[in-house]
Amino acid sequence: MNEVGLLDLVLEEEFTRDPNLVFLATNSPASLRRRFGSDRVRICPISEQAMTGMAVGAAMSGLRPIVDLNRASFAMLVMDQLVNHAGRMHYLSGGQYRVPMIVTSATRGRQQLGPQNEQCPYGIFMQTPGLAVVVPGSLRDACALLRGATRWPGPVLYFVAPELNRQRGLSAALAAGPLPFGEAAHLRHGDAATIVAIGGAVKVAADAADALAADGVHCDVLDPRTLVPLDTAALAASVRRTGRLVFVDDGPRSGAPAQILSRLLDEPGVAVAVGGRIGFVCQPDVPVPSSPPLEEAMWPTEGRIRAEVQRVLGEPE
Amino acid sequence: MTMAVAPARSAGPAAPDPVAMFTSMVLIRVFEERMMELRTAGEVIGPVHPYVGQEAIAVGVCAAMAPADFLVSHYRGHGHAIARGVDLDALTAELFGRAGGLCGGKAAALISDRRTNLLMSSGIVGAGVPVAAGAAMAAQVRGEPAVSVAFIGDGALGSGVVHETLTIAAVQRLPLVLVCEHNGYQAGNRTEEVYPEVSLLRLAEAHRVRAVGVDGNDVTAVAAAARDAVEFARGGGGATFIEAQTYLTRFHLQFERPSPEVRPADEMAAWRARDPIDTARQSSPLRDRLSDADVETIWEQARERVEHAVETARSCAWPAPEDAATHVWAEES
Ligand SMILES: Cc1ncc(C[n+]2csc(CCOP(=O)(O)OP(=O)(O)O)c2C)c(N)n1
Ligand SMILES: [Mg+2]
Repeated sequence: MNEVGLLDLVLEEEFTRDPNLVFLATNSPASLRRRFGSDRVRICPISEQAMTGMAVGAAMSGLRPIVDLNRASFAMLVMDQLVNHAGRMHYLSGGQYRVPMIVTSATRGRQQLGPQNEQCPYGIFMQTPGLAVVVPGSLRDACALLRGATRWPGPVLYFVAPELNRQRGLSAALAAGPLPFGEAAHLRHGDAATIVAIGGAVKVAADAADALAADGVHCDVLDPRTLVPLDTAALAASVRRTGRLVFVDDGPRSGAPAQILSRLLDEPGVAVAVGGRIGFVCQPDVPVPSSPPLEEAMWPTEGRIRAEVQRVLGEPE
Repeated sequence: MTMAVAPARSAGPAAPDPVAMFTSMVLIRVFEERMMELRTAGEVIGPVHPYVGQEAIAVGVCAAMAPADFLVSHYRGHGHAIARGVDLDALTAELFGRAGGLCGGKAAALISDRRTNLLMSSGIVGAGVPVAAGAAMAAQVRGEPAVSVAFIGDGALGSGVVHETLTIAAVQRLPLVLVCEHNGYQAGNRTEEVYPEVSLLRLAEAHRVRAVGVDGNDVTAVAAAARDAVEFARGGGGATFIEAQTYLTRFHLQFERPSPEVRPADEMAAWRARDPIDTARQSSPLRDRLSDADVETIWEQARERVEHAVETARSCAWPAPEDAATHVWAEES
């Protein structure tokens, strides 16, 4: 599935466990299709809006569909079904109907697909109530959160960074049990600053924190894992303790980071604790260009993260 | 909204020169083979969707277009661009990601070119179709004779917005020509696996759009069908859907390694035997007009032209990192 082949094996296990799971995509994994047949594993034409709408209807009728959109940019094609329908039917029906479905897609990679097809649009879906938004930061979490998604009672948008495919530990990742939503991972511990890292940026953020630690600067690194529901309590507790906050994300600054920040500022004590000591290492709010030297400016790097943490540390208390 | 003008057939443009069309097909072929090599070598950036095997369609269609006509392409657009006369050096530099490229390195293959009225080459299947219809509407509103041409793959008929646009084009008699390059595949899927029937003409007809089938590997036939469609649109007759049967002999896509795609050997052989360039070479009038030496010269000149473009691209500077943030917003004029 997508760019991360290990997820196919997760799906095979979950398909065995839950006969209500079905799969729709222009490109469905051959092994899944062989094992579970073309009834449950469907190949569709390039009809993303229809696939997503069919998933809504199937979910309301007792199935648990997975639509693989392939690229996160194609989420733009299915906004109506996701936002006006999948995310609203439970509310609109006064709780009569649940819409348990999963829409998967791959976010930005280093393939120079250009301004249209290199996107991390998960921030957009943090303001569309009713949709859970999952962005795993490791291969293990990618597997565990996909399992979690197959147990969630409503619609889930699952965004996976192609970068995770380079991580090792395949069998441990596959063995991980379902992860509940709304629990951040606390990856590094320290009082100097809180680094909130998302998706494909989690590894580089942890690496930067290790390098900073070697220089005596110990940071908290938190990966929210699910943006909706968000583990505000864990993030807020860290920020209240460190008084400094740096966001690291492959996506645009006005997307998930801005939204998480606004949620945190609502938490008692956070605004006072953090003052103005807030930093961002994200894609700027511009599209991702194709040319490699331009694209390079769009990635969070270890150097940029260290510099931003140091800048925030230099801000007065 | 509809224009009650009868489709007055004008004399139209002169019939295209077969030698010029042959030369253009050869240039596209040489260019595409070279771009694949250079992608493997890491000089060309991004995904390369080669146009090899479909050259007759771009060349035949663009031969029917006037300079003021609009063109909408997609991710497999090098052939369309070359046939339309997009500057080869600037195109190549763009595929190299250089500052001197057509779009300053921002687009790679997803180019626009104002000089030739190439509005866009979208990476989103089907998305260019309503955009082309919008350009057709602009011509209609301004009372200009321009026609809008959009290339799509057979896969685009899966997209709802293509059907929506066909309906509008029929009712509003838009000067629109949709050229569907039906190569039997949609990335990894064979078209018959995902469509109720392989002919797409009846889909267009159901929307009451004039539908014409053509052998996409026969440049003369494509040019004639395109010329007819363009004149029909220009005369106020409305839209035409052209289904051109063809095949991608160098497959769907490559990144840093040549495509690993495997296809049935007999299918490949049958289509290779119907190669559009060989077909043009062996059919009248070229059979009599060009000697083997002439043909070799055409290939040699194409290779020289492409090498010149490659050398020019190599000599272009990379964009500066801060250029990433330019052109997000249009300036007030
Ligand atoms: C809306 C959308 N969905 C999926 C894709 C991924 N994709 C890129 S090319 C392609 C196949 C398109 O097939 P077709 O239209 O027949 O054109 P061909 O590649 O054969 O020229 C797909 C599915 C896309 N670009 N846009
Ligand atoms: Mg096709």
